[in-house]
Amino acid sequence: MSNPIPSRKEVIEDIKNRGELVAAVLPIHYSRALLRCFSIYPVEVWGPPKVDVSLGGAHLQPYVCSIVHNALSFLKMGGLNAADFILIPHTCDSLQGLTSVLIDLIKPEQAIIPLYLPRGQREEDIIFLADEFRSLYTRLSELTGKKPSSKDLLAAIKREETSDLLLAKLYKTRQQMGLSNLDFYRLVRSREYLPAEHFSTLAEETLQTSTQPRPGIPIILSGIVPEPMEVLNKIDEMNGQVVADDLACCGRRLYKPGISPEPFRRMAERIISAPPDPTRGNPIEERVKYLVEMAQNSGAQGIIFYEVKFCEPELFDLPNLRNSLKEHGLASIIIEVDINNPLPHQVATRISAFLEMLDS
Amino acid sequence: MGITDSLKYYWNVKVVGQPFLHWQRRQAERRPKVSSRWRSDILSPPLRIGAKTKELISRHYLEGRYANGHRPVAWVTSGGPVEILQALGFYVLYPENHGALCGVRKAVVEIYGEAENAGYSTDICSYARTDIGSMLSGKTPVGRLPKPDLLLACTNICQTVLHWYRVLAKHFEVPLILIDTPFVYTKASDHALEYVKKQLENSIPIAEQVAGRTLDYRRLKEIIHLSKDATELWLEIIGRGRHHPAPMSVFDQFIHMAPIVEMRGKKETVDFYAALLKELDENIDKGIGAVRNERKRLLWDNLPIWYRLRYFAENLGEHGICVVASTYTNAWAELAPLMNLEKPLDSMANTYMHPILNQGTKYKLDTMKRMVEEFQLDGVILHSDRSCKPYSIGQIDQRNLLIQEYGIPALLLEADHDDPRAYSEEQVASRLASFVEMLDD
Repeated sequence: MSNPIPSRKEVIEDIKNRGELVAAVLPIHYSRALLRCFSIYPVEVWGPPKVDVSLGGAHLQPYVCSIVHNALSFLKMGGLNAADFILIPHTCDSLQGLTSVLIDLIKPEQAIIPLYLPRGQREEDIIFLADEFRSLYTRLSELTGKKPSSKDLLAAIKREETSDLLLAKLYKTRQQMGLSNLDFYRLVRSREYLPAEHFSTLAEETLQTSTQPRPGIPIILSGIVPEPMEVLNKIDEMNGQVVADDLACCGRRLYKPGISPEPFRRMAERIISAPPDPTRGNPIEERVKYLVEMAQNSGAQGIIFYEVKFCEPELFDLPNLRNSLKEHGLASIIIEVDINNPLPHQVATRISAFLEMLDS
Repeated sequence: MGITDSLKYYWNVKVVGQPFLHWQRRQAERRPKVSSRWRSDILSPPLRIGAKTKELISRHYLEGRYANGHRPVAWVTSGGPVEILQALGFYVLYPENHGALCGVRKAVVEIYGEAENAGYSTDICSYARTDIGSMLSGKTPVGRLPKPDLLLACTNICQTVLHWYRVLAKHFEVPLILIDTPFVYTKASDHALEYVKKQLENSIPIAEQVAGRTLDYRRLKEIIHLSKDATELWLEIIGRGRHHPAPMSVFDQFIHMAPIVEMRGKKETVDFYAALLKELDENIDKGIGAVRNERKRLLWDNLPIWYRLRYFAENLGEHGICVVASTYTNAWAELAPLMNLEKPLDSMANTYMHPILNQGTKYKLDTMKRMVEEFQLDGVILHSDRSCKPYSIGQIDQRNLLIQEYGIPALLLEADHDDPRAYSEEQVASRLASFVEMLDD
């Protein structure tokens, strides 16, 4: 990569210096285009890792996952002060609880904007999600005083679609790019906070750079988020190569372009047709099929389920997924982490043993 | 449906089982026995209706045992819109109720162990683990559970049920109806209500196909009527807790709520609650309270700790404390006014969108405050339930607000509704003792 990737902090400062608005967005699915039409820049909050959790612990029980704990702690310590709004998609019971506690009991300065995501992939789910986006449009209009036209909305959607197509291209050519695991995920995860046009430029530059492919034991990484990111370094050190992923922050958001010319429906179509995701209620069979095809296409020999502790949507599917993958000759391992802790040595040892097993 | 299975059903259920259970109940009513372990010094004798509760529950599971092949079977989440299935003649099983029953019978550890051995994490809901363990091993204290022909998951209690029912759907290879009910942070939007109604409409042809018959809307209305009647009676029963002394504690309510959860829409359920109400009124007239020498009255928030009901009743009863009301048992009552017979699907959509678990933390806090006032309570026990995040998240702030804003003593107890490994009796006893002392100050 010729240009360094700016950090979240730098991007936020740049947006604020231009006098524009920032929305802190919690995981997982939402429409970036809808926010951008109102000149609101989404900056995603996946935790972040390694914050003082005692602040969140004053409101949440210890059996709530570290992503939610950390998000609340980060908010309480002023980490989201630059955000004008906080958008929280209804991803799971814990994020639902956090949203409700914020709206009703903690009441931070920023407006809390919930977004309900349907759990099916039926026509009624698309209609409902399109209505949710319409409702969000109304709320954002009230908050900003702006009323973007359908043309503005479609232009914003197409800009995001272009960016997502480039993201998909990065995924497709990742094995030829010669990036380390850490560098690849730094790049693709910058989609979490870079404006689409900025990300597109970065992606195009990277795609034009030709380097030598990196050898390594090919694996798939599945889960919510690869935090702490040291795990990617460790996989590099152990000669592992993440050739594809089923991560909520990355591969599960490879949204295809929508079909409908009507902007709200098109936004909904993009999310509903995204790769299978337990938080959107996809059946286990769809996930098995998707992962098997992913392994076949990428040449992966095994799958690391890298899970955040207490994440029920992930945990329920694991026994069936692992059994079915085994029937297809794919080995797997479950690693559970608290994103607030440094990567435990035990985790590194288990990954190392898994890679050795695949190599042999 | 097969003739042999139907004959088996009639013989085992109608000819042998039901008459036996009826006889057993009559015996228990004629010669009521109180266990030698019952703390008669602090608690009034158990309610007479207990024999009928036992008969109803046993009969329900007996019918289930022989249902396969005789009538269609559906497994449904506890907040699921059951009326359509009842009207189509389904035998309806609630895995959560089965989980609770396993908890009360102290059978959970062995059963959920089967799920854990199969790879299910100890961090997933203990009801789900118990159900999956039972599904994988066939183990259950009720003899045998029928296999489902249809699954129905309604997300109005949690998202967990969706993941859980996806596991069931894969195992049993049967259709899964999803009724997704958007969470009500402040007010239900029109498009959310329309979405739920649409899903209810779309569920009908699927259920009809499995049942092999067409939905009779007149029958659906009758069932909604019965459902509403039973729910209204349950609301009245809970309301009797306003009397001093309270004629029934929540530990009784937890047991006697089984029919309102799994037998809504049946005439016998309406009769059952009418009889319970009558008994409570008799006790009120005689001045009989659930706890002898009732001195203090409390509210219980969240699910029960199924495997320690008696412990809590006795421990608190010893200090003259009766836990009179609960946001949990109230959840099965408070929706009665929303049911409208003239618009069955609209009314079902509205009703099933609004259980306490599908509403924001402020609604729950307001409910607690209202119940404390209405029932003249001295404090609140909030069970922080490791297995139920939707109910539990927010309780830390709710407890603080109850104490600081409203001057209501409140205690947060860490446990799990069905997993005794997440429960420490020593810790609970010590926290209860401090709380009781504080109530007396």
